[in-house]
Amino acid sequence: MTAEHEALYPLEVEERWKAFEWELIPAYPEDPAMNLALDEVLTRTVGSGERKPTLRFWAWTTTAVILGRFQSVRNEVQIENAAEAGVKVVRRISGGGAMFIEPPLAITYSIHVPPAFVEGLSFPQSYAFFDSWVIEALRELGIDAWYAPLNDITSAGGKIGGAAQARKYGGVLHHTTMAYDMNIPTMMQILRIGQEKLSDKGLRSADKRVGPLRQQTNLPRETIIERMTESFVRRTDAVPGKVTVEERAEAEELVRTKFDTEAWTYLLP
Amino acid sequence: MHGEYKTPGGKLVVADFEVESERFRDVVVSGDFFLYPEEALEAITGAVEGLAVTSGEGEIAQAVEAAIPDGTEMLGFSPEAVAIALRRGLAS
Repeated sequence: MTAEHEALYPLEVEERWKAFEWELIPAYPEDPAMNLALDEVLTRTVGSGERKPTLRFWAWTTTAVILGRFQSVRNEVQIENAAEAGVKVVRRISGGGAMFIEPPLAITYSIHVPPAFVEGLSFPQSYAFFDSWVIEALRELGIDAWYAPLNDITSAGGKIGGAAQARKYGGVLHHTTMAYDMNIPTMMQILRIGQEKLSDKGLRSADKRVGPLRQQTNLPRETIIERMTESFVRRTDAVPGKVTVEERAEAEELVRTKFDTEAWTYLLP
Repeated sequence: MHGEYKTPGGKLVVADFEVESERFRDVVVSGDFFLYPEEALEAITGAVEGLAVTSGEGEIAQAVEAAIPDGTEMLGFSPEAVAIALRRGLAS
Protein backbone atom coordinates (compact mmCIF):
# COMPACT_ATOMS: atom_id res chain seq x y z
CA MET A 1 0.00 0.00 0.00
CA THR A 2 1.22 3.49 -0.74
CA ALA A 3 1.79 6.01 1.99
CA GLU A 4 -1.05 8.00 0.48
CA HIS A 5 -3.43 5.08 0.99
CA GLU A 6 -2.22 4.22 4.49
CA ALA A 7 -2.83 7.75 5.67
CA LEU A 8 -6.52 7.60 4.82
CA TYR A 9 -7.58 5.70 7.96
CA PRO A 10 -5.97 4.20 11.09
CA LEU A 11 -4.70 0.76 10.06
CA GLU A 12 -5.78 -0.92 13.30
CA VAL A 13 -9.40 -0.78 12.10
CA GLU A 14 -8.45 -3.47 9.53
CA GLU A 15 -8.98 -5.95 12.39
CA ARG A 16 -12.70 -5.18 12.23
CA TRP A 17 -13.15 -7.14 9.00
CA LYS A 18 -12.47 -10.38 10.89
CA ALA A 19 -14.20 -9.26 14.08
CA PHE A 20 -17.56 -9.70 12.32
CA GLU A 21 -19.12 -12.71 10.60
CA TRP A 22 -20.01 -11.97 6.98
CA GLU A 23 -22.27 -13.19 4.23
CA LEU A 24 -21.54 -12.74 0.56
CA ILE A 25 -24.50 -12.64 -1.85
CA PRO A 26 -23.42 -13.29 -5.44
CA ALA A 27 -24.84 -11.31 -8.34
CA TYR A 28 -28.34 -12.14 -9.49
CA PRO A 29 -29.99 -9.95 -12.16
CA GLU A 30 -32.62 -7.69 -10.64
CA ASP A 31 -34.79 -4.87 -11.91
CA PRO A 32 -33.14 -1.48 -11.12
CA ALA A 33 -35.83 -0.53 -8.60
CA MET A 34 -35.48 -3.95 -6.95
CA ASN A 35 -31.72 -3.47 -6.54
CA LEU A 36 -32.38 -0.22 -4.70
CA ALA A 37 -35.13 -1.74 -2.57
CA LEU A 38 -32.81 -4.61 -1.60
CA ASP A 39 -30.20 -2.04 -0.56
CA GLU A 40 -32.69 -0.49 1.85
CA VAL A 41 -34.04 -3.79 3.20
CA LEU A 42 -30.60 -5.36 3.76
CA THR A 43 -29.38 -2.21 5.50
CA ARG A 44 -32.36 -2.52 7.84
CA THR A 45 -31.95 -6.26 8.53
CA VAL A 46 -28.22 -5.82 9.19
CA GLY A 47 -28.94 -2.75 11.33
CA SER A 48 -31.45 -4.69 13.46
CA GLY A 49 -29.11 -7.67 13.82
CA GLU A 50 -31.38 -10.08 11.91
CA ARG A 51 -28.70 -10.43 9.23
CA LYS A 52 -24.91 -10.63 9.41
CA PRO A 53 -22.84 -7.92 7.77
CA THR A 54 -23.24 -8.55 4.05
CA LEU A 55 -21.56 -7.92 0.73
CA ARG A 56 -23.92 -8.13 -2.26
CA PHE A 57 -22.80 -7.94 -5.86
CA TRP A 58 -25.40 -6.40 -8.17
CA ALA A 59 -26.56 -7.51 -11.59
CA TRP A 60 -29.18 -5.84 -13.72
CA THR A 61 -32.00 -6.81 -16.03
CA THR A 62 -32.02 -3.51 -17.89
CA THR A 63 -30.13 -0.30 -18.62
CA ALA A 64 -30.75 2.38 -16.03
CA VAL A 65 -29.83 5.77 -14.64
CA ILE A 66 -29.41 5.59 -10.87
CA LEU A 67 -29.73 9.11 -9.46
CA GLY A 68 -28.16 10.16 -6.18
CA ARG A 69 -30.56 10.89 -3.31
CA PHE A 70 -30.21 14.68 -3.72
CA GLN A 71 -30.12 15.03 -7.51
CA SER A 72 -32.78 16.66 -9.63
CA VAL A 73 -34.12 14.47 -12.46
CA ARG A 74 -34.29 17.18 -15.09
CA ASN A 75 -30.86 18.53 -14.26
CA GLU A 76 -29.26 15.11 -14.69
CA VAL A 77 -31.30 13.20 -17.27
CA GLN A 78 -32.45 13.89 -20.81
CA ILE A 79 -35.82 12.45 -19.90
CA GLU A 80 -37.25 12.07 -23.42
CA ASN A 81 -34.14 10.35 -24.73
CA ALA A 82 -34.15 7.98 -21.76
CA ALA A 83 -37.82 7.11 -22.30
CA GLU A 84 -37.26 6.56 -26.02
CA ALA A 85 -34.27 4.28 -25.38
CA GLY A 86 -36.14 2.34 -22.69
CA VAL A 87 -33.67 3.44 -20.01
CA LYS A 88 -35.17 3.21 -16.54
CA VAL A 89 -34.62 6.23 -14.25
CA VAL A 90 -34.54 5.47 -10.51
CA ARG A 91 -33.39 7.22 -7.33
CA ARG A 92 -31.23 5.56 -4.67
CA ILE A 93 -31.11 6.25 -0.92
CA SER A 94 -27.45 7.37 -0.90
CA GLY A 95 -26.05 10.71 -2.04
CA GLY A 96 -23.52 11.27 -4.81
CA GLY A 97 -23.76 11.44 -8.58
CA ALA A 98 -25.84 9.76 -11.30
CA MET A 99 -24.66 6.41 -12.57
CA PHE A 100 -25.47 5.34 -16.11
CA ILE A 101 -25.56 1.56 -15.99
CA GLU A 102 -25.53 -0.80 -18.93
CA PRO A 103 -25.65 -4.26 -17.35
CA PRO A 104 -22.47 -5.77 -18.84
CA LEU A 105 -20.41 -2.59 -18.46
CA ALA A 106 -20.51 -1.95 -14.72
CA ILE A 107 -19.43 -3.77 -11.57
CA THR A 108 -21.51 -2.71 -8.57
CA TYR A 109 -21.63 -3.99 -5.00
CA SER A 110 -23.18 -2.99 -1.68
CA ILE A 111 -21.77 -3.51 1.79
CA HIS A 112 -24.17 -3.48 4.74
CA VAL A 113 -22.77 -3.21 8.27
CA PRO A 114 -23.84 -2.20 11.77
CA PRO A 115 -22.58 1.24 12.87
CA ALA A 116 -19.91 -0.41 15.12
CA PHE A 117 -17.93 -1.35 11.99
CA VAL A 118 -17.14 2.31 11.27
CA GLU A 119 -17.27 3.66 14.82
CA GLY A 120 -14.71 6.39 15.44
CA LEU A 121 -13.94 6.87 11.74
CA SER A 122 -14.73 10.11 9.95
CA PHE A 123 -16.86 9.83 6.82
CA PRO A 124 -13.86 10.19 4.49
CA GLN A 125 -11.92 7.57 6.46
CA SER A 126 -14.83 5.15 6.31
CA TYR A 127 -15.11 5.46 2.51
CA ALA A 128 -11.49 4.41 2.04
CA PHE A 129 -11.80 1.65 4.65
CA PHE A 130 -14.89 0.06 3.03
CA ASP A 131 -13.18 -0.24 -0.36
CA SER A 132 -9.71 -1.32 0.86
CA TRP A 133 -10.24 -4.95 -0.23
CA VAL A 134 -11.07 -3.72 -3.75
CA ILE A 135 -7.88 -1.67 -3.95
CA GLU A 136 -6.01 -4.82 -2.95
CA ALA A 137 -7.80 -6.90 -5.61
CA LEU A 138 -7.09 -4.32 -8.30
CA ARG A 139 -3.41 -4.27 -7.35
CA GLU A 140 -3.30 -8.05 -7.66
CA LEU A 141 -4.72 -7.60 -11.14
CA GLY A 142 -1.76 -5.37 -11.96
CA ILE A 143 -3.48 -1.98 -11.63
CA ASP A 144 -1.71 0.58 -9.45
CA ALA A 145 -5.02 1.63 -7.89
CA TRP A 146 -5.56 3.93 -4.94
CA TYR A 147 -8.38 5.69 -3.13
CA ALA A 148 -8.91 9.36 -4.00
CA PRO A 149 -11.00 11.02 -1.26
CA LEU A 150 -13.82 11.52 -0.86
CA ASN A 151 -15.25 8.63 -2.81
CA ASP A 152 -13.25 7.65 -5.90
CA ILE A 153 -11.25 4.57 -6.81
CA THR A 154 -8.64 5.66 -9.30
CA SER A 155 -5.31 4.74 -10.93
CA ALA A 156 -2.68 6.23 -13.19
CA GLY A 157 -4.81 4.84 -16.04
CA GLY A 158 -7.80 6.94 -14.95
CA LYS A 159 -10.78 6.93 -12.60
CA ILE A 160 -12.24 3.46 -12.10
CA GLY A 161 -15.23 3.95 -9.85
CA GLY A 162 -17.08 5.85 -7.15
CA ALA A 163 -18.76 5.06 -3.85
CA ALA A 164 -21.74 6.40 -1.91
CA GLN A 165 -23.00 5.79 1.60
CA ALA A 166 -26.29 6.02 3.43
CA ARG A 167 -26.58 5.85 7.20
CA LYS A 168 -30.15 4.95 8.01
CA TYR A 169 -32.46 2.21 9.20
CA GLY A 170 -30.05 1.40 12.04
CA GLY A 171 -27.28 0.37 9.64
CA VAL A 172 -24.66 1.68 7.27
CA LEU A 173 -24.82 1.15 3.51
CA HIS A 174 -21.74 1.62 1.35
CA HIS A 175 -22.02 0.89 -2.34
CA THR A 176 -19.58 1.28 -5.16
CA THR A 177 -19.89 1.23 -8.94
CA MET A 178 -16.87 0.65 -11.14
CA ALA A 179 -16.66 1.04 -14.91
CA TYR A 180 -15.83 -2.23 -16.65
CA ASP A 181 -16.32 -0.59 -20.01
CA MET A 182 -17.92 2.63 -21.25
CA ASN A 183 -20.39 3.53 -23.94
CA ILE A 184 -19.83 7.27 -24.01
CA PRO A 185 -22.03 8.15 -27.03
CA THR A 186 -25.09 6.52 -25.41
CA MET A 187 -24.26 7.97 -22.01
CA MET A 188 -24.16 11.46 -23.50
CA GLN A 189 -27.61 10.90 -25.05
CA ILE A 190 -29.09 10.01 -21.67
CA LEU A 191 -27.26 12.09 -19.07
CA ARG A 192 -27.15 15.84 -19.01
CA ILE A 193 -23.70 17.23 -18.38
CA GLY A 194 -24.07 20.88 -17.41
CA GLN A 195 -21.62 23.65 -18.10
CA GLU A 196 -20.54 23.83 -14.46
CA LYS A 197 -19.72 20.13 -14.41
CA LEU A 198 -17.90 20.54 -17.72
CA SER A 199 -15.57 22.85 -15.84
CA ASP A 200 -13.70 19.81 -14.59
CA LYS A 201 -15.68 16.81 -15.86
CA GLY A 202 -16.19 17.61 -19.53
CA LEU A 203 -16.75 14.86 -22.06
CA ARG A 204 -13.33 15.20 -23.57
CA SER A 205 -11.55 15.26 -20.26
CA ALA A 206 -13.88 12.61 -18.77
CA ASP A 207 -13.11 10.46 -21.76
CA LYS A 208 -9.42 10.68 -20.93
CA ARG A 209 -9.85 10.67 -17.20
CA VAL A 210 -11.90 7.48 -16.90
CA GLY A 211 -9.96 4.24 -17.06
CA PRO A 212 -12.46 1.36 -17.36
CA LEU A 213 -11.28 -1.99 -16.02
CA ARG A 214 -11.40 -3.77 -19.36
CA GLN A 215 -8.98 -1.26 -20.78
CA GLN A 216 -6.69 -1.53 -17.76
CA THR A 217 -6.71 -5.34 -17.38
CA ASN A 218 -7.80 -6.97 -20.66
CA LEU A 219 -9.68 -9.44 -18.46
CA PRO A 220 -13.31 -10.60 -18.69
CA ARG A 221 -15.71 -8.94 -16.25
CA GLU A 222 -16.39 -12.25 -14.49
CA THR A 223 -12.69 -12.80 -13.81
CA ILE A 224 -12.43 -9.40 -12.15
CA ILE A 225 -15.46 -10.16 -9.96
CA GLU A 226 -13.92 -13.55 -9.03
CA ARG A 227 -10.69 -11.87 -7.96
CA MET A 228 -12.61 -9.28 -5.97
CA THR A 229 -14.58 -12.06 -4.28
CA GLU A 230 -11.32 -13.86 -3.35
CA SER A 231 -9.93 -10.66 -1.88
CA PHE A 232 -13.08 -10.07 0.18
CA VAL A 233 -13.27 -13.66 1.48
CA ARG A 234 -9.59 -13.61 2.42
CA ARG A 235 -10.20 -10.49 4.44
CA THR A 236 -13.51 -11.46 6.09
CA ASP A 237 -13.93 -15.29 5.89
CA ALA A 238 -17.37 -14.49 4.44
CA VAL A 239 -19.68 -17.41 3.72
CA PRO A 240 -22.07 -17.57 0.76
CA GLY A 241 -25.50 -16.15 1.51
CA LYS A 242 -28.73 -15.20 -0.18
CA VAL A 243 -31.59 -12.78 0.14
CA THR A 244 -34.21 -14.42 2.37
CA VAL A 245 -37.81 -14.96 1.29
CA GLU A 246 -38.92 -12.36 3.85
CA GLU A 247 -36.36 -9.80 2.66
CA ARG A 248 -37.40 -10.30 -0.94
CA ALA A 249 -41.08 -9.86 -0.07
CA GLU A 250 -40.27 -6.68 1.84
CA ALA A 251 -38.21 -5.37 -1.07
CA GLU A 252 -40.98 -6.15 -3.57
CA GLU A 253 -43.36 -4.15 -1.42
CA LEU A 254 -40.87 -1.25 -1.34
CA VAL A 255 -40.58 -1.34 -5.13
CA ARG A 256 -44.38 -0.89 -5.31
CA THR A 257 -44.66 1.77 -2.63
CA LYS A 258 -41.41 3.70 -3.11
CA PHE A 259 -38.67 2.90 -5.61
CA ASP A 260 -40.91 2.44 -8.65
CA THR A 261 -43.11 5.46 -7.88
CA GLU A 262 -42.99 8.90 -9.50
CA ALA A 263 -43.23 10.45 -6.03
CA TRP A 264 -39.82 9.01 -5.06
CA THR A 265 -38.07 9.24 -8.43
CA TYR A 266 -39.21 12.84 -8.91
CA LEU A 267 -38.69 13.78 -5.26
CA LEU A 268 -36.40 16.49 -6.64
CA PRO A 269 -37.91 17.09 -10.09
CA MET B 1 -33.97 30.77 -12.10
CA HIS B 2 -31.14 28.28 -12.12
CA GLY B 3 -27.65 28.51 -10.66
CA GLU B 4 -24.87 25.96 -10.24
CA TYR B 5 -21.66 25.90 -8.27
CA LYS B 6 -19.11 23.15 -7.99
CA THR B 7 -16.92 23.33 -4.89
CA PRO B 8 -13.31 22.88 -6.06
CA GLY B 9 -12.37 19.27 -5.29
CA GLY B 10 -15.93 18.75 -4.05
CA LYS B 11 -19.44 18.32 -5.39
CA LEU B 12 -21.98 20.23 -7.47
CA VAL B 13 -24.78 22.26 -5.87
CA VAL B 14 -27.73 23.32 -8.04
CA ALA B 15 -30.30 25.93 -7.01
CA ASP B 16 -33.62 26.25 -8.86
CA PHE B 17 -36.05 28.93 -7.68
CA GLU B 18 -38.50 31.72 -8.51
CA VAL B 19 -38.30 35.34 -7.48
CA GLU B 20 -41.48 36.92 -6.09
CA SER B 21 -41.63 40.38 -4.52
CA GLU B 22 -37.83 40.43 -4.51
CA ARG B 23 -37.67 37.24 -2.44
CA PHE B 24 -36.47 33.66 -3.13
CA ARG B 25 -39.49 31.36 -3.61
CA ASP B 26 -40.00 27.66 -4.41
CA VAL B 27 -36.32 26.98 -3.77
CA VAL B 28 -35.03 23.52 -4.72
CA VAL B 29 -31.43 22.68 -3.79
CA SER B 30 -30.01 19.58 -5.46
CA GLY B 31 -26.69 18.06 -6.48
CA ASP B 32 -24.28 15.15 -6.19
CA PHE B 33 -23.26 16.02 -2.64
CA PHE B 34 -23.62 13.91 0.52
CA LEU B 35 -25.74 15.06 3.42
CA TYR B 36 -26.42 13.27 6.70
CA PRO B 37 -29.14 13.12 7.82
CA GLU B 38 -30.96 13.52 4.51
CA GLU B 39 -33.77 15.50 6.17
CA ALA B 40 -31.33 18.39 6.64
CA LEU B 41 -32.02 19.28 2.99
CA GLU B 42 -35.42 20.62 4.05
CA ALA B 43 -33.73 22.80 6.65
CA ILE B 44 -31.36 24.15 3.99
CA THR B 45 -34.09 25.06 1.49
CA GLY B 46 -36.32 26.33 4.31
CA ALA B 47 -33.56 28.70 5.43
CA VAL B 48 -33.39 30.30 2.00
CA GLU B 49 -37.10 30.37 1.19
CA GLY B 50 -38.38 33.94 1.56
CA LEU B 51 -34.96 35.56 1.96
CA ALA B 52 -34.57 38.88 0.17
CA VAL B 53 -32.80 38.51 -3.17
CA THR B 54 -30.63 41.45 -2.13
CA SER B 55 -29.04 39.20 0.54
CA GLY B 56 -25.33 38.80 0.02
CA GLU B 57 -23.47 35.49 -0.13
CA GLY B 58 -22.41 35.83 3.49
CA GLU B 59 -25.96 36.47 4.72
CA ILE B 60 -27.38 33.52 2.77
CA ALA B 61 -24.61 31.22 4.01
CA GLN B 62 -25.22 32.38 7.58
CA ALA B 63 -28.96 31.67 7.30
CA VAL B 64 -28.22 28.15 6.03
CA GLU B 65 -25.61 27.54 8.72
CA ALA B 66 -28.04 28.63 11.44
CA ALA B 67 -30.83 26.37 10.13
CA ILE B 68 -29.00 23.05 9.83
CA PRO B 69 -29.46 20.79 12.88
CA ASP B 70 -26.49 20.05 15.14
CA GLY B 71 -24.53 17.03 13.99
CA THR B 72 -25.40 17.51 10.31
CA GLU B 73 -22.59 16.39 7.96
CA MET B 74 -22.30 18.24 4.64
CA LEU B 75 -19.77 16.42 2.44
CA GLY B 76 -18.48 18.02 -0.74
CA PHE B 77 -20.42 21.26 -0.24
CA SER B 78 -21.11 23.94 2.37
CA PRO B 79 -23.52 26.74 3.28
CA GLU B 80 -21.27 29.04 1.20
CA ALA B 81 -21.63 26.76 -1.85
CA VAL B 82 -25.43 26.91 -1.55
CA ALA B 83 -25.23 30.71 -1.35
CA ILE B 84 -23.00 30.95 -4.44
CA ALA B 85 -25.36 28.73 -6.47
CA LEU B 86 -28.31 30.97 -5.51
CA ARG B 87 -26.45 34.19 -6.31
CA ARG B 88 -25.42 32.74 -9.66
CA GLY B 89 -29.06 31.89 -10.37
CA LEU B 90 -30.02 35.51 -9.89
CA ALA B 91 -27.35 36.59 -12.33
CA SER B 92 -28.47 34.09 -15.00
